[in-house]
Amino acid sequence: MTIHFKINRSLLETIRRDLARPHHFARERVGFLSAGLSSAADDLWILVRSYRPVAEGDYLDDPSVGAMMGPDAIRKALQWAMAEGVAIFHAHTHCGRGQPGFSGVDLREQAKFVPNFFQLAPQCPHGALVLSDTYLHGNIWLDANKPYEVITDFVQVGAPLYSWRTA
Amino acid sequence: MEDRMSRFDRQSFLGPDSESKLHGATIGLVGLGGGGSHIVQQSGHLGIGGYVVIDPDHITDTNTNRLIGGTLADIVPATAKVAIAERQIRGLVEIPRIITVRDTWHTAIDDLKRCDIIIGAVDSFIQREQLERFARRHLIPYIDIGMDVHDLGKGQYLIGGQVILSMPGKPCLRCCGLVTDERLTQEAGKYGAAGSRPQVVWSNGVLASTAVGLVTQLLTPWFKGIPGFVYLDYDGNRGTLTPNDRMGLFQNKVCSHHPPDETGDPLFDVRVFDRLRADMALAKLKASSKPAPVSERQTLWLSISKIFGRKR
Repeated sequence: MTIHFKINRSLLETIRRDLARPHHFARERVGFLSAGLSSAADDLWILVRSYRPVAEGDYLDDPSVGAMMGPDAIRKALQWAMAEGVAIFHAHTHCGRGQPGFSGVDLREQAKFVPNFFQLAPQCPHGALVLSDTYLHGNIWLDANKPYEVITDFVQVGAPLYSWRTA
Repeated sequence: MEDRMSRFDRQSFLGPDSESKLHGATIGLVGLGGGGSHIVQQSGHLGIGGYVVIDPDHITDTNTNRLIGGTLADIVPATAKVAIAERQIRGLVEIPRIITVRDTWHTAIDDLKRCDIIIGAVDSFIQREQLERFARRHLIPYIDIGMDVHDLGKGQYLIGGQVILSMPGKPCLRCCGLVTDERLTQEAGKYGAAGSRPQVVWSNGVLASTAVGLVTQLLTPWFKGIPGFVYLDYDGNRGTLTPNDRMGLFQNKVCSHHPPDETGDPLFDVRVFDRLRADMALAKLKASSKPAPVSERQTLWLSISKIFGRKR
């Protein structure tokens, strides 16, 4: 099985620019992506549609982490999943070059909130992404009660096409 | 000097890893007539490794004025166009990955999903529109080529055509004015009575070569700032290929005909997918786990018997 993640280059550039904006107390910014889905045999394609940044006031002041979302941020993302019946991916950036990876805190927090999306959009997988200035890395849950899987194939759709596999 | 060069040395300016990138790429090619057959041949020379080639037809004598790779010897056995394409590719590509579909592309959507780029060399506008919509839904760049010969009267003709790169998010065939409701209605009215349209080898060659150039730009660009939207007009009487006015005007236009919220399969359900995936994994496991041969079982039984001091 291969999990493919495809995103338009211009949208990815917009996301990178947005996540790089400074926040008045959080050290990082976060946002959510929505995606359509398609499959063939046991291959799955995540086809990104759009991006919504977490609103300024929806961050919690927690100096122990780079960014802590408040309940409103999660609620809005959950509503998005339910209203449009889409897959939702949490996104943040570690900046720098090369393939990024999730921190222990990232993995712990994802495991808390990503499975909640299945209550409102159970027909879609959901997950989390971490960006660098050159790559993406992501985890996906196909079922709220099963462990996440790593997204293996990425394509940045644009001119030129740019693709890579998770190391 | 030439003897010491590898097969792809003359295109090494495409990048140090261009050979592997091109071999690793898969293109979907819908329509293997005058235009598509040129694209097959050139893609093979270029070193592209993966192909989904689709055409329901076989070669006839009226195709031999332009179908690259087809020979007079193919007429009597009515060789399928996909078989001619496969023969071309196997003659040029080492360890190719080829899926041939002797049917309409609608029967090959799972194979097309796996393509990096889809190229349409089809006759009808409805096919163009449907194929482009499919490509957009799956965030796959689509390249369209087409030519026509227009009767100007008094024994005068004009050869025209176009090459369009339709990139997800960028202007589409409707934005270009190539696909219009009027054309679709006109085409639907002529259904079954279209007859054969004039086609010539050299014009198809110009358009196909340009399409292969666009494929190469997308996979292994050799200069910076390649355009994300391309609309080139072919004038076969002047022998020119020029950017359509819309190419400059629409470079930053966002397509309104294929909004981003249309990506994916609207009926997709991960619960169904996960069940199917589990069934497939189980079937794979069953297929790969066979009982040990009798001789191995006997040896094993003897070993066990020895351990427990029993004789068979």
